[in-house]
Amino acid sequence: MENQIPVAVQLTEKCAHCNADSKAEDTFCTQCGYPLKGTEAEQNKFISERQVEEIDMFTYNKTLRQASNTLYYLAGVFIFAGLIYFFIHKDEVDVVSVVITNIIMAAIFLVLGAYSKRKPLACLISGLSLYVIVQVLNAIIEPISIAQGIIIKIVIIGYMIKGIKSAMEIEKIRKENNIA
Amino acid sequence: MAETRLCAQCGASNGVNVKFCSSCGHKQIETFNSQTAHNWKLLKQTALFYCIYILICALSSFVDYFKTIGWFLIIEIIIAGTAVIFFAYNWANCKKLLRWPSFSFPKLAAYGAFAMTSALLIHYIANWVNVIVFSRDYYYYSIFADSPGSAYLIIFFTAITPALFEELGFRGYLLQSLLNIADTGQAVFISAFLFAIIHLSFISLFWLIPFALFLGYTRVKENTIWYGVFFHFCFNLTACLFELL
Repeated sequence: MENQIPVAVQLTEKCAHCNADSKAEDTFCTQCGYPLKGTEAEQNKFISERQVEEIDMFTYNKTLRQASNTLYYLAGVFIFAGLIYFFIHKDEVDVVSVVITNIIMAAIFLVLGAYSKRKPLACLISGLSLYVIVQVLNAIIEPISIAQGIIIKIVIIGYMIKGIKSAMEIEKIRKENNIA
Repeated sequence: MAETRLCAQCGASNGVNVKFCSSCGHKQIETFNSQTAHNWKLLKQTALFYCIYILICALSSFVDYFKTIGWFLIIEIIIAGTAVIFFAYNWANCKKLLRWPSFSFPKLAAYGAFAMTSALLIHYIANWVNVIVFSRDYYYYSIFADSPGSAYLIIFFTAITPALFEELGFRGYLLQSLLNIADTGQAVFISAFLFAIIHLSFISLFWLIPFALFLGYTRVKENTIWYGVFFHFCFNLTACLFELL
């Protein structure tokens, strides 16, 4: 009886791996699965497995960065296209509306690119959808435009889809391993 | 006593918020393993839904061939049908949105009043900026101009069908699938952005994004699509009456 520790003052320890509170009787950390009472070999094995995941994380983050850069690149393309259009059609009446449209598009992609570090999934899905809509509209107004620079278009869409997938993987690994 | 759950591997009991079994280290949340694959499938399905919308909206607004009353009705039916089919296909996930757990008349009136005020405000701002914000509505008016009872048809096709089927499609199906994939904030943002750009009008983006964010937020907070439907109906009705009167 005297040896029993009341629940209220039960010792809590910090997990050596994720720093979450753990109870004294826990064999494994309940938040990250670290073998608290395992042998040194078991603990090392756990850490090396997590390091493999960290390498995966590194790859995913790299893909994500590429996708963010694609958004910035698109912002640049719209500004550039707007400028070229302005200098070629300087004397026409509707030049202002085309240039303003290009500037708004560039601004949207710029904002999406800037926020894509904090909210990758939202920014990449929005950016991809906007890009697809622009391509569809161009194709309807001028069917030949779909073939222009088709390889670049496929690369851009590919980068963004890979980015979306990576964002989902990162989210999953973070949730799983209790990394904030 | 806190709720507990038995570990599937060793049978020890753990609290429900535990991610790994405290005695054997087994993962407690099984969905983690297949989650990405499942989410990816959900996302692809959502993309299909959205691509159908892009094609229909782009064709109906930019190809003159489709600007007849017959095609107009066919397009309305396809849009409504797409929303209903995708909603019904995810019935298990979406059916709770059709309930109205927090029904109250004062709240409904407040949403209605807010919708009408914001429609008024946007109407005047738009006139001030001197751009045609409701370009899609003008197209409606010209199509029905010489049919009998045109005013009722216009009200039906600008206020009732969009309110019902856009809410069902975007705040119902689309937002519900996105909530499975991303956190609440990101899901609401994505659904609002997608909703705003599908209207294919640049100037309208400035009010469509806040409008859709508000509807998405209302849908998440109230857990029903009906307040959104009512808000959307009041908003469109006010805008539509302005043009008719």
